Amino acid sequence: MELFYSALGLFNSPTVFVALLIGGIWGTVAGVLPGMGTVAALIIALPFTFAMPTESAMALFMAIYVTSVYGGSISAILINTPGTPQSAATVLDGYPMAQAGKADLAIGWATLASFIGGIFSLIILIVAAPALARVSVAFGPSAIFAIVLFALTCIAWLSSGSMAKGLLGGVLGLFLTTVGQDNYTGMTRFSFGSDIMRGGFTLIPILIGLFALSEVYHRALLQGTHRTGAEMNVGFRLPPLSDVIARWKELLRACSIGTFIGILPGTGAMAATFVSYTAAKKFSPNRDKLGTGEPDGLIASEASNNAVTGGALIPTMALGIPGDGGTLVLLGVLTIKGIVPGFDLVNNNPHILTAAFMMVLLANIIMFGTGMLSARLFERLLRVPEPILMGLILLFSLVGAFVVRGNPVDLIVCVVAGAVGVLLRLARYPIAPIVIGVALGFIFEEKLRQGLIASKGNIWTFLTDPIALPIFGLTAVIIAATIVSNVRQYPQTKALKE
Amino acid sequence: MMNSVLKTLCSAAALTICTAGAAWAEYPDRTISLMVPFAAGGGADVPARFIAEELEKELGQSVVVSNVTGAGGTVGATQLSTATADGYSLGFMPVGTTTTQPHLRGTSYGVDSFIPICMVASGPFYLVVDADSEFKTWEDLEAKAKGDGITFTGAAPGSLAHVTSVALGAMWGVDVGYLPTKGGGDAMNELKGGRADATAWFSDFDVRFGLNALAIFAPERSEIHPDVPTSGDKGHPADIAVWMGVFAPAGTPDDVVAKLDSACEAAITSEGFTANMEKANREIRHMNADEFGAFFRKAFEENGELLRNAGLVKN
Repeated sequence: MELFYSALGLFNSPTVFVALLIGGIWGTVAGVLPGMGTVAALIIALPFTFAMPTESAMALFMAIYVTSVYGGSISAILINTPGTPQSAATVLDGYPMAQAGKADLAIGWATLASFIGGIFSLIILIVAAPALARVSVAFGPSAIFAIVLFALTCIAWLSSGSMAKGLLGGVLGLFLTTVGQDNYTGMTRFSFGSDIMRGGFTLIPILIGLFALSEVYHRALLQGTHRTGAEMNVGFRLPPLSDVIARWKELLRACSIGTFIGILPGTGAMAATFVSYTAAKKFSPNRDKLGTGEPDGLIASEASNNAVTGGALIPTMALGIPGDGGTLVLLGVLTIKGIVPGFDLVNNNPHILTAAFMMVLLANIIMFGTGMLSARLFERLLRVPEPILMGLILLFSLVGAFVVRGNPVDLIVCVVAGAVGVLLRLARYPIAPIVIGVALGFIFEEKLRQGLIASKGNIWTFLTDPIALPIFGLTAVIIAATIVSNVRQYPQTKALKE
Repeated sequence: MMNSVLKTLCSAAALTICTAGAAWAEYPDRTISLMVPFAAGGGADVPARFIAEELEKELGQSVVVSNVTGAGGTVGATQLSTATADGYSLGFMPVGTTTTQPHLRGTSYGVDSFIPICMVASGPFYLVVDADSEFKTWEDLEAKAKGDGITFTGAAPGSLAHVTSVALGAMWGVDVGYLPTKGGGDAMNELKGGRADATAWFSDFDVRFGLNALAIFAPERSEIHPDVPTSGDKGHPADIAVWMGVFAPAGTPDDVVAKLDSACEAAITSEGFTANMEKANREIRHMNADEFGAFFRKAFEENGELLRNAGLVKN
């Protein structure tokens, strides 16, 4: 209790609350804007922290970190474009729900799921951060490789229509991550001798191109086929409590997966949402409706990606090891402000840690408010003539693609990915598998290479790892089950077609 | 008709003279960009933002930090090496990007592509192990290295941590295994998970990660950790530090370099900068353009030699 009071002492000035509020609003808005993700939102806010007191800077960044992950769901639902990479799986059920005239309910579900995910992971963070930090380091290259492999199986679920098309996309995505300089040898791969390609491709410009720009191009090609804001029923409507209670298992599963994967070093929210979506495809009572506008899909994606925030803060705050781009910037700001996350924070300054938890809690509550506000804002925004709205999306997309690493090549990558995306849509190829390939390709290769380097080239090291083995087993079972069910259904689908 | 053409020509000529005049105006008369080849919030970015803040006051113009990341900082460094050498495109780069990566990765830039302006910060490396590990002294680790062998971890090959592992191997006359990670604190996962025996880190190894140091790779013991012996105390003198500083592309005019050099010196000794660096647990080390130039050239050659001896230079 004493800890609680000394933590409360850090909330000594109203500027902390103002910082939380501004951070919450900016985080949500940046999340909504296609292109501006968590990292971009934090980077843009970074220079302002210089003039701020330590507590306010911490509050601002915690609020941006938590709310930006959520903001991405709103654009995913309303304009078929994930505002942040973490919301890539939200598109799958969110957009169909909006097109069916239930946009308000979809936003309600996404907000509620995000909130529950955020609070769930926060509780875990408060109760068990130091203990879980020890679990985190037990996951070596082999174990994380196994989890990434499991997440990749989700390509099969997202390949609506044709599994072959989905797998092709996934392989293309994985391949794209091998372009450029290899971090382990310094060799340049698939660059065709061009200096421009040396830096390789990164996720954000490809993601923005494939989703946001291709949506813009697609709407320009097929004008007037999309539903207007009024037809979609844009707004904010919470689902009835009985519905929420009925889906408690879905929420619990998504929250647990998100928190757990968040804890693992460098695995990230993308892997979490895809593992969670795969689990929902397997265990949800409504699994057959997933991908057609089913709230379970929204829960799987949104509860897990917000649960990652609390999870990822565990190694960041307790060990001083940032898990992803967002926590890296967060850690940087704390360092600038003279707070050293890690050993000292846990052992000698636990009140700062407790204050950080309170800030995350408040940020989650603010998120509810900003969610409602931005739904209202969108209601008006969608009344803007579509060409203007699309022009704005184009602008934000290009800014977002550029700001992440300041490389002009990324603008070209983004525009080309947009063109490829629209061709794929017209040819009815699913886009998500390519994004999953790119999102997981880097860590897939990194962990594979690390494992092989550690074992001096012995591939069996992956199967002798006690944590990795059961995960590989689960992956094999899921793949086998998919093949079996496809083979069984084949005569039926064939008969249907005939 | 002729008249209006003449008028246009005249005004064009006047305009040319005017712009030429502007070029002669006192440097700097517009915003200066300071490129950091690593992510915002990272090890190189933090001091860059501190120094930019003070340089702004000294030069009277905005100094904007931009992060151009990728491939061990070589993407940003390549961009800087081809930028206009007018003093408005500067870079804030560390030792690895400028003196090891050119040897390892065959970059299009080399030792002659940049003019070093000033060294700003330098963090000497400590040989660190997990607090719970069996290694309590330098000798413990040496014995294991000469017996079963040890695994060292750190950022990608060519990083200073990797250079440290190569140097250790040379000191003890053994092969030291190296487990590369993505960098930053990632190596600590491998160390704390028991998959690696040792790594190299800065002076905040205890407050941030709760680790033990067996030695410091510096000519003198540090004031921060006076109990930690130098590698020289153990019979192997070494000076391994991650230093970073301000660079300009080659061809930047001498007067501009001189102006930046003195602005840099004033910025580094300013109260704001020293206070910020202390709060962020970072060690300041200043060298002016002349000293830093000679130091940079020597470091470039020495690191090249070290990597060549380790068989890491392919061309």
